[in-house]
Amino acid sequence: MDSIILRKEVQERIKEVKEVDILVGIPSYNNARTIGHVVKAVQAGFAKYFPDKKCLLVNSDGGSDDGTTEVVQNTTIEDFQSILLHYRVEPFFKIATPYHGIPGKGSAFRTIFEIAGVLNAKACAVVDSDLRSITPEWIELLIKPVIDGGFDYVAPLYHRHKYDGTITNSIVYPLTRALYGKRVRQPIGGDFGFSEKLAKFYLTKDVWETDVAKYGIDIWMTTTAIANNFKVCQSFLGAKIHDPKDPGADLSAMLHQVVGAAFDLMEIYPDIWKAIKGSEAVPAFGFQYAVGLEPVNVNVDRMMEKFKLGTKELSSLWKEFLSKDVLDFLCESQRLSKEEFRMPDNIWAEIIYSFAMAYHKKIMNREHLLKSLTPLYIGRVASFVIETWESGAEEVEDRIEELCMTFEDKRDFLINNWD
Amino acid sequence: MGDFLQRIAIEPFKRFFDKVIQFLPNFLTSTLILIVGIVLGMALKGIFLRFFRAVGLDRVSERSGVIELLRKGNIRDSVSVLLSKVIGWVTVFIFAIISMRELKIPTVERLFESFLLYLPNVFVAALILLFGYLLGNFFGRAALIASVNAGIRFSGLIGKFVKFTVFILSATMALEQLGIGRETVIIAFAIIFGGIVLALAIAFGLGGRDIAKAYLEKKMKGEEKKDEISHL
Repeated sequence: MDSIILRKEVQERIKEVKEVDILVGIPSYNNARTIGHVVKAVQAGFAKYFPDKKCLLVNSDGGSDDGTTEVVQNTTIEDFQSILLHYRVEPFFKIATPYHGIPGKGSAFRTIFEIAGVLNAKACAVVDSDLRSITPEWIELLIKPVIDGGFDYVAPLYHRHKYDGTITNSIVYPLTRALYGKRVRQPIGGDFGFSEKLAKFYLTKDVWETDVAKYGIDIWMTTTAIANNFKVCQSFLGAKIHDPKDPGADLSAMLHQVVGAAFDLMEIYPDIWKAIKGSEAVPAFGFQYAVGLEPVNVNVDRMMEKFKLGTKELSSLWKEFLSKDVLDFLCESQRLSKEEFRMPDNIWAEIIYSFAMAYHKKIMNREHLLKSLTPLYIGRVASFVIETWESGAEEVEDRIEELCMTFEDKRDFLINNWD
Repeated sequence: MGDFLQRIAIEPFKRFFDKVIQFLPNFLTSTLILIVGIVLGMALKGIFLRFFRAVGLDRVSERSGVIELLRKGNIRDSVSVLLSKVIGWVTVFIFAIISMRELKIPTVERLFESFLLYLPNVFVAALILLFGYLLGNFFGRAALIASVNAGIRFSGLIGKFVKFTVFILSATMALEQLGIGRETVIIAFAIIFGGIVLALAIAFGLGGRDIAKAYLEKKMKGEEKKDEISHL
């Protein structure tokens, strides 16, 4: 893949900027509706919290045809006085460029890392372009721990609806925490801060032709930072409200990319995760407060249908690597009604670990294996929804904590059967 | 009388004896080549068995589904054993052919020539069948998983249909390679395949009337309650 910084117009812009203190990257693809707000929040964040620093905003675009890049170029806060009492006078820099390589968020991030590396940005952050709830404070919260606290990686902490981020809650958070021993609550949150050292470290890795180039980038960034002993913290950013991620994206493809990236990382760092015992909290910054969140519609009946269909049709594939107990449970579930159905934590943890081992041992084609996880994941989400229908945010968080503990308790099952 | 005996008994016997004498070196050479072939075949079998085991061929074949294919064919040997046996037998076979040629019997030579010319077709056909089976399994499984994830009720049927279509296609190609009923096979395949597609089209048309109606009504009158879960 060609480096983006070889492009003439980018080189010219880099020559003009020379060096920066802070860089914020925004990956985008057809986000004209929301990216203007994100650009303004970033600009206000620069002005309010880093008035004496040289700041750059980089928009790395995947070939949008809805005018996203034009929105980025043309958006600026004209009337700072209505937002801030004291504000910076000097302009901030902007680079909006298409990225090269496999279409996906990871390729967009690579471009951002490259520009950060060339300009020796001391602290960087990336924020999603579909955010509706981003405020200037997010920039401070993602950058300050790097500049003032000496942290290398700042993961986000949000208040999200109990049914928002279900891959995070049911797979990625419990798995990452159990494996690498750090309680990073939103390992694939999408909005991160990181140091110059970490950005340059990311660029040394040859992963840009894999699922990391797509939705796998978030889990890869978080795990790489933790597994390589970079200093990690979290910042509370408030509510996360965003447009749906690529509505056309197929769930099984998303699951394949995210879970595949997590399983690939397990193969890269086996000696590290096998040696971990328990888990520990990571420092958290920001003032935590409760927020009201928009309700989310859930069609549990349809989820149950998909789960039962998958169980009926795909059990013959799963029997090669799932234990008899799990298969018996799945068979039994066929007869249960929505009200009776629950997928216990220990069964779910065993399913994920068994899939990880099957992936490692290449028991079948890896894409088939991961895509066959979809109905089980839908079943688990349905069970979680049924169980927590009446629960408030705190109760739901407690349930997720219980699931994480189960994942930690079952680590021996994974370690003993890995090779 | 002596002359008569000479013509009907001694001379033919002498000619036969001359021919035997003439043939004997060929026969001995041929036997020797065959013995060398058998010994070499056994040695190669042992060497390749060790080599295949050392490179972990059995593990690879287990993952790629070849073992499953063999078990379905009631073959219990591992791929290493099977391949080394094949190599051993092919060696013996090649030496057997060379030894037969050494006999220099014109009829045998012609027979083996035609057989040898046909042999590559058999190998290619066998390879086509093997790949057809593996590809059929692969695409069948991909179709099954994709249709399950799309929530299609008759996913099992779709998976099987894809699997058998690919296999039938490869069987047709294999038969064509062998030159067996070349045109008949192609026409039969076209008729069967076209027939299946037509049958499916009619079945979908008749059986899916209500579904299509319900779908259009849903589109016109509004969708059912949708999930708004954000998975990431």
